[in-house]
Amino acid sequence: MSDAPVRLQVNGLARALDGVPATERLLDTLRWRLGLKGTKEGCRTGGCGACTVLVDGESTLSCLTLTHEVDGGSVTTIEAIARDPVGRIVRDAFEREGALQCGYCTPGFVMALTGLLKERGRSASVEELVDGLQGNLCRCTGYVSIVRAARAAREAEP
Amino acid sequence: MSRSLRPDAALKLAGAAEYGVDLEAPGMLWGALVLAPAAHARLRSVDLASARALPGVVAVGPDDLGALLPGGGGDPDRPIFPRTEITYRAQPIAAVAAPTRELAERAARAVRVAADPLPIVADLEAVFPDWPGPDAEANPHVAAHVHARHGEVEAAFRDAEKVVRETYRTASIHQVALEPHACLAEVTGDRWVVRTSTQSPFGVREDTAQLLGVPEASVVVDGTWVGGGFGGKGASLLEPYALVLARAAGRPVRLALGYREEFLLGRTTLPAVVRLETAVARGRIVGRRVRLLLDVGTSLPGRDFATGYSIGFLVGPYRTPAFDLEGYAVRTNKPPFGPHRAPFAPQCAFIAESHLVHVALEVGIDPEEFRAQHMWTEGDTTPLGQPVGPFGLSAAFEAARSTARRWRAAAAPGQGVGIGAGFWSTNSGAGGEVRLVLAPEDLLVVQGEREIGSGSVLVGVAAVAERATGLPRERIRIEYADSSRAPFDSGVYGSRTTAALGRAVEEAAAVLLRTLGERMGAPGPVRLEVDGPSIAAVHGRDRRRVATLLSPDERRAGGLSVPGRHYGRSGAIDARRVLAGTFYPYTDFTGAAHVALVSVDRETGAVRVERYAAFQDVGRVVDEPSARAQVEGGVAMGLGTALTEEAIWSDEGTLENPGLLDYRIPTLGEIPPIEVAFIEGYAGAGPAGAKGLGEPPIIPVPATIAAAVRAASGAHLTELPLSAERVARALKLL
Repeated sequence: MSDAPVRLQVNGLARALDGVPATERLLDTLRWRLGLKGTKEGCRTGGCGACTVLVDGESTLSCLTLTHEVDGGSVTTIEAIARDPVGRIVRDAFEREGALQCGYCTPGFVMALTGLLKERGRSASVEELVDGLQGNLCRCTGYVSIVRAARAAREAEP
Repeated sequence: MSRSLRPDAALKLAGAAEYGVDLEAPGMLWGALVLAPAAHARLRSVDLASARALPGVVAVGPDDLGALLPGGGGDPDRPIFPRTEITYRAQPIAAVAAPTRELAERAARAVRVAADPLPIVADLEAVFPDWPGPDAEANPHVAAHVHARHGEVEAAFRDAEKVVRETYRTASIHQVALEPHACLAEVTGDRWVVRTSTQSPFGVREDTAQLLGVPEASVVVDGTWVGGGFGGKGASLLEPYALVLARAAGRPVRLALGYREEFLLGRTTLPAVVRLETAVARGRIVGRRVRLLLDVGTSLPGRDFATGYSIGFLVGPYRTPAFDLEGYAVRTNKPPFGPHRAPFAPQCAFIAESHLVHVALEVGIDPEEFRAQHMWTEGDTTPLGQPVGPFGLSAAFEAARSTARRWRAAAAPGQGVGIGAGFWSTNSGAGGEVRLVLAPEDLLVVQGEREIGSGSVLVGVAAVAERATGLPRERIRIEYADSSRAPFDSGVYGSRTTAALGRAVEEAAAVLLRTLGERMGAPGPVRLEVDGPSIAAVHGRDRRRVATLLSPDERRAGGLSVPGRHYGRSGAIDARRVLAGTFYPYTDFTGAAHVALVSVDRETGAVRVERYAAFQDVGRVVDEPSARAQVEGGVAMGLGTALTEEAIWSDEGTLENPGLLDYRIPTLGEIPPIEVAFIEGYAGAGPAGAKGLGEPPIIPVPATIAAAVRAASGAHLTELPLSAERVARALKLL
């Protein structure tokens, strides 16, 4: 399995990756093979959400995803978030509300919220959004400004 | 278009901010540490042969340091690898570097460490089941002993109408900055360069130079964006190892901790036991005895700061005419104690406040009235004899009481409202310096700190520069420089950054405006104004572009450069009150009073925080959104200390929950609405009377939650955290 190249669309670009070991995590492929370091490594055990990316539009923990598992799929990371219509709304809401401090958890939150809004659309209640972001940890903001940004993104016109 | 609340938002939202974990260099090797297999053992040998046999692997152990380091092996008191004795689990024993991460991990596992077990002392209560005796000073487990006394203590207790005695215990907690420690080192000739995620480039430079035995001037520390610090990134941790590996390899080496290692090696608050006795007569506190045992892990004697600094929080901020305070820093087989946002102060406030609530109820006085009656105001005296300066705690406490009255009136059955108070200082550190460079079109603030997230540098210092020069924010650029080029600063810690660097900016700005005035032949300072793309200096009706006021040399150098410095003075301690040890004075008195409305589940003991309000004495708000964000974040972090966070150490000195699934920090759904209000007008020593704000908001939180839990359920808890299990036990549900 590790001999066959992995084919991915990453931020809209077609990539064929040779020699990806069967055990390689999508997180490491993105960061160290493709240089997309906006996706952050936190706990590497699915406990913090810092590594969240979109795979085929769905929010996915890249630390718990093997690169071979997403062969043929499409991956969006924070570097391309502004080119996604929903992602753009979320990104702008975080900027306007100042919903970040150190910024380390920020890419994960932006991707996770984008995934939620894509899935639920504007019908999502604030409670659903809060519930959907429970897997993302932030140590700086106390989440107050992040919830504000989530509300604003939900109400924004696309 | 409205300006973002954060000047770093766009960069961070593009994924383009480079943190320590993101560093990479051509030809780089991946480093890994070999961690001690036991918490206490006699080291027989460290065999690196199997690691070195792997392709491209470089390994360094205790025997290699002499040849690698110019001074012959570094600081003999603090060897970076132990030579004879392992003193805590996960202590670095050796380090390896390899062309890939996987190979580095394999090489670390291939190192054979032979060690003979020694008795492990992991529990401070096992060291001193009773209070340390007269021979304690000679006990190798005592890292520090502090003792202060004032007033007629025996008489106060003898004549008291009521004496209340209690024992409190607090847990070990971790900072949990989401970015693990990470750095990239490269050694070229005698230049030891390390890029690192740090709260204190100059602190890391000093520490690393000492540890490696190289001159400070040959170490260059270059900060990256910091993914959260909270005290955990204030001193060197990985940098000496990365540099030694880079020296051995002749190539750049990246060294980063995995999150499990982050827990295992992290330096943070360790457990404590506190016994308090309070004597009351005629409704007033007349005496207090405090006995503190603080676990400091493997902190070296002379390097414990926490005991002498924190013990005062077990008396103040309340008038107490007679007291006897004694504390021991107790060494155990754990990593050294390190600072965690307001080190040990939230724990002390929990203890002091919960105890006062208990005392008041025992003597039949309203607990809030009892605290208000004793609370320090300006002109009172601290336990160490220092006069209390402008202090907004009473005003904050009164505001909290008024909120609490409203919430109580609306509370449902099973809910309770509590108030907690606390105070803190703005640490001046060794000092802070900046360089203002006025260019024809903008103003640079050159300084040596990277933004750790609080906004203290990019927002706070910029806001002060804006006020001090009159220039709009978009013409002010905060320019970071590494430790070889920047003016000195102590570090982003101790709630000091905006206050200290801000004062340095104010000083430089005053000189700058006067200098321009002199060049215009005008007495006194000029005003700066934006004039199209240029900046103009204005004095009366005289208006000139800055470019025309610069000398040719200044134009070549990019502008008029003016240094500013602020080396704060701290108050004095009354030596007559000190019987033993080192105590530290406060600089500024910064109060905070919080209110919580909680529900307690009468079947599980689980506490849910429904509403929260924070009243923060701040002197003067420098930037409202950032100030508010500090309070919101501090409260949330404090809720973790209060309710869930507990690093559990086994009797073998092993951390049993080194991961985010088992060490629980608050999640988004657990944070109540937080109301924030600032108390201004009690001036501090910062710019325009500002006080530091990084740490104060976390301090009252565990005390506040404990008071609310008691009000809701009657449960009186004397241990942190207030986990569901502890609450259930207190309610006799278990």
